[in-house]
Amino acid sequence: MQSNDQRAYDRGTTIFSPDGRLYQVEYAREAVKRGGATVGVRTADGVVFASNGPRRSPLLEPESIEKLHDVDGRIGMATTGHVADGRRLVDYGRRYAHQERLRYGDAPDTEPVAKAIADYIQESTQTGGTRPFGTALLVGGVDDDGPRLFEVDPSGTPAEWRAVAVGNQSREVRAFLEAEYEDGLALDTGTTLVLRALADSLGELDAVDVDVATMDADGFTSLALDQRRAAFEAAGLGPAS
Amino acid sequence: MELTRTDHDGRRDRLNHDWLRPPEGEQHHSTAPDGVTYSTGTTIVGVTTADAAILAADQRMSLGGRFTANKNAQKVEQVHPTGAIAISGSVGPAQRLIQSLRTEANLYEVRRGEPMSLRGLSQTTGHLVSGLPVAPLLAGVDQTGPQVYELDGGGSVLRDDYAAGGSGMQVAYGVLERRFDPDASTESARRTAVDAVAAASERDTASGNGVHVATITAEGVDIDGADDPEEVR
Repeated sequence: MQSNDQRAYDRGTTIFSPDGRLYQVEYAREAVKRGGATVGVRTADGVVFASNGPRRSPLLEPESIEKLHDVDGRIGMATTGHVADGRRLVDYGRRYAHQERLRYGDAPDTEPVAKAIADYIQESTQTGGTRPFGTALLVGGVDDDGPRLFEVDPSGTPAEWRAVAVGNQSREVRAFLEAEYEDGLALDTGTTLVLRALADSLGELDAVDVDVATMDADGFTSLALDQRRAAFEAAGLGPAS
Repeated sequence: MELTRTDHDGRRDRLNHDWLRPPEGEQHHSTAPDGVTYSTGTTIVGVTTADAAILAADQRMSLGGRFTANKNAQKVEQVHPTGAIAISGSVGPAQRLIQSLRTEANLYEVRRGEPMSLRGLSQTTGHLVSGLPVAPLLAGVDQTGPQVYELDGGGSVLRDDYAAGGSGMQVAYGVLERRFDPDASTESARRTAVDAVAAASERDTASGNGVHVATITAEGVDIDGADDPEEVR
């Protein structure tokens, strides 16, 4: 009976267990761990994202696996975990950023966009009949305060990082970043660092499966395959297959 | 803002442009002392060449067509990587239209990973301008070449090789009908557009105080303005 009662606390997101936990939110974090390894690093002049998404089949078009997203030309977003949930959050972020532009005639900074998405995610943990988003995301961009990098988890908690990893193997990737990260890196050194961080924990990587994007004063730029291959070589990861 | 989770009426993917419209039951009537709103009066001109589109406009904002309320109005604005709009009509709704259009074009680009086609941009403008006391010209370049569109508050969207709008349009058309040449160079087309606005500025009381001109190519939009039309010819 006891175990049945205990289990009942994971039925709804809006119900705390007696020890103060929201089981559905914790399950959502498990969903995030099943997503592709995703890294973000803040450098002196921009933010770099890299995300690994191995294909389930060689027949799958690699470009169709969405991992890194342009929010408004300035701000970028990386999602991992439940892809479908991530798409909702990306579109929410896009609409939020553009509605802010309409309202104030100016593009919003990185922090308000990250926090608006965080608040939207939080609603799903306190509204009846919903399930939390099984997605963790990174939000990065350069504004008047310089490069900023935020992580938002399925509970709707935003946190600012200098370097962070989410998704598969995130514990190992974070440990690598804690050992290797330095302040004031150049953007291309940051690109090398994110690739090395992924390779260190995941072993051999294929440039086709790894998306890389930078956010600097010129805005969001997604690296094309030949640029990613060059970045792999620069990171000493050899000519990728 | 229609950004909440409960917004499931099929408009979830759209931005809210309610700010363009007056409150329910209210027309765009004036609150100005003599019963008229700021209006561009205006002469606007659009011309295409083989590889560019030109938009030109005067710089006068008038009150009732009888008083020059502002001598530095910028009526040509970029709204797309290779697209610009020239406004005529009521200034307030026209300025908000520009903001809305720019935002829609940017949202489209981040969603689809490529800029809107000019046809798409003209349709979007048509939806947004519908019901507003604004009659703009839209011009730009895409894969199908340079294009000019005339639009109005009824929602009409008409593509043409050249067009004029605003209170000075008859004078401007006089210049365009004689001078427009589809084979002209970009420089020559730019002179034609500026001359059309300059001619209207001489005779139309609601146009004048200089010219803004946008030259749009596949590379982007370049906007110049001067109080003396000679300087931007």
